[in-house]
Amino acid sequence: MRDVYIIGTGIHPWTGFSETVFADFAAVAVDGALKDANIEWRRIQAIMAGIFIYGGNAGHLSGQYLESIFGETGVPVVNVYNACATGSAAIRMAYNSVAAGETETALAFGADVSPKGFLTAKSDNAVQDRDVIRWKMGGMPNPIYWALECRKRMAKYGTTEEDLALVKVLMSEYGAKNPHARFKKTYSLEEVLKSVYVCDPLRLYEICPVSTGAAAVIVTADKELIAKADKPVKINATTMGSAIYGDPTIRISALSCPAVPEAPMLSESYSASRQAYEKAGVGPEDIDVLELPDNSSWHYLVYLETCGFCKEGEADKMLRDGETKIGGKLPVNPSGGFSSHGEALSAQALWQVIECANQLRGRCGERQVQGAKVAMAQTYGLMGNSGTTILSI
Amino acid sequence: MENMANKVARIPNLVDWSTGEVRLMSAKCNSCGTYFFPREHYQHRPGCSREGVENVLLPRRGKLASYTVQYYPCPAPFKTEQKITPYGIGLVEFENEKIQVAGIITNTDLKTLQLGMEMETTILDMYVNEEKQQVVTWAFQAVK
Ligand SMILES: [Zn+2]
Repeated sequence: MRDVYIIGTGIHPWTGFSETVFADFAAVAVDGALKDANIEWRRIQAIMAGIFIYGGNAGHLSGQYLESIFGETGVPVVNVYNACATGSAAIRMAYNSVAAGETETALAFGADVSPKGFLTAKSDNAVQDRDVIRWKMGGMPNPIYWALECRKRMAKYGTTEEDLALVKVLMSEYGAKNPHARFKKTYSLEEVLKSVYVCDPLRLYEICPVSTGAAAVIVTADKELIAKADKPVKINATTMGSAIYGDPTIRISALSCPAVPEAPMLSESYSASRQAYEKAGVGPEDIDVLELPDNSSWHYLVYLETCGFCKEGEADKMLRDGETKIGGKLPVNPSGGFSSHGEALSAQALWQVIECANQLRGRCGERQVQGAKVAMAQTYGLMGNSGTTILSI
Repeated sequence: MENMANKVARIPNLVDWSTGEVRLMSAKCNSCGTYFFPREHYQHRPGCSREGVENVLLPRRGKLASYTVQYYPCPAPFKTEQKITPYGIGLVEFENEKIQVAGIITNTDLKTLQLGMEMETTILDMYVNEEKQQVVTWAFQAVK
C-alpha cells in the first residue's frame, strides 16, 4: 500500500429542509473540491458515492447522477450506504483504490436532503426490516435510544444535567465561528438548562436535528498533484468497524440489548478506532484535534471514552476541566459538531474529515487549533456502523 | 385480567396473553444461550452452530434498567387514539435471561420512576381497526 493524500475538499454549507435537488448540492461540494485540488474533472479515476436513501433511484445511484452533471467518463462508480458512517465507507473505498494502485486519484462524496421532522421506517415488513417494529409499536424515535443510555450513564458515573448542557454551550460557541454550520446562535448554560426536555434527561438543545448538506474529498497518490496541492493532508488510516457480540448498548432500531456486557459500549466505534490506531501507528495521546459524533450531549461524553481518550466515567471531568476546549489538551469538535450542523446522513462523515483536514491546513480562522499535526474524525451509525479516519500533515 | 378476546397486537409474535398473563415472545438459542427480542432479531455469539433456537416467553416481571420521558407526540407510523404524551419508555431487565427490553410505560406515574423498581409486562390500547378489534402494543407498568 502506498501513501495517499487529501488534496481537495469541498462543502455545501449545512442548512435545514430544502426543495433543492440533492445532486445540485453535491455538485457544489465537488466543484469546491476540484478547485481546492486545482485539478480537472477528467483526473478523477473513481467515484465513491454516499447513497442518499430518501432520493429514490437518483439517491441510490447518486454517483451516476453526479457523474452526469460533470460529464460521464466511464470510470468506476460505486454507491455505498452505511447509515451515519456512509461517508466513512466512501472515503475508505477511495483510499483503498488509490493505496492499492488501482487508481491514482479518486473522489468520495455524500449529499443529503433532510426529510421533514423525524426520520422514520423505510419499509412495512416487520419480519425482514428490523427498523419497523420500533416505529409502529415501540414509539421509539432515535433520541430515545440516546436518552436511555444517558440515564444509565448519569446513574453509573454521576453525569449531571449541567455537564450535558455544557456540551451545547461549547458547541454553540464554536459553531458560531464556522461558516459551514447551520446553527450559529450561542447559548449560555442557563439557556440550555431552561430549554424543554425532548426525551428526559435530554433537552431540545442537547440533541441534533436532521439537516441538508454535501461534502466531497479528493484523494490521490499522484506525486505531481500532491506537489502542486495547497498543504496536502496524509491519510494515516481510514477504517470501518461493526459491532461486537455482547455490546450492552441499546442500538438504534433494536428493541432489546444484552443485560450483561461482554464487549465495550458502542463497540462498532471501539472497533473502528482501534483498527485506525493500529494502522496509523498512533494512539489517542497523539491526536491534536478530534471530531466526534455529538448526536447528543451523551455521545460527546461517551465517545471520549469509547475512543480511549480517557477511562470510562472520566469524560465529564475532561469537559468540566476545559481539556476539550480549543486550547485545551484535546480540542474536541472545533467545528461546532453535529450540535451546530445537524445530521446529513451520507455527507456528515466526510464533513468531519474535511473539518479535520482544514484544521491541519490551518484554514479554520477563529476556531483554529494552533499547531495541529494529527487529527481524527470519528463517526457513529445505526445498526452497528462506524468509521474512523486519522490524518496528519 | 381484562377481557382480551377482542384484542389483537398490531404486529404478531411480539406479545402473548394466551397463558392468562401478558408476556413478551422471545426466542432462546440453546447453542449460545442468547435470548432474542423480537424473535427474528437474531444476535448469535460468533461461532454458534445456531441449532436449537426455541420460542420462549419472557417472565412477566423485570427490573427497570433505564427510562426516558418523551414530551412530543409520537410520530407516525405509530398510531394511537389515546393521549399518551408525555409518555415514558422503559428498559426492563429480565435477569435470568440476561436481556433488557424496551417498551412504553403505562398506568404509572412517571414522576415515581426509579432505576431498579419492579415492572410488569402489560398491553397498551392503540386504536380500533376496521374489523372493530382493539389493536394493542406491549408495554410495562410499575408493580403495585
Ligand atoms: Zn446461538
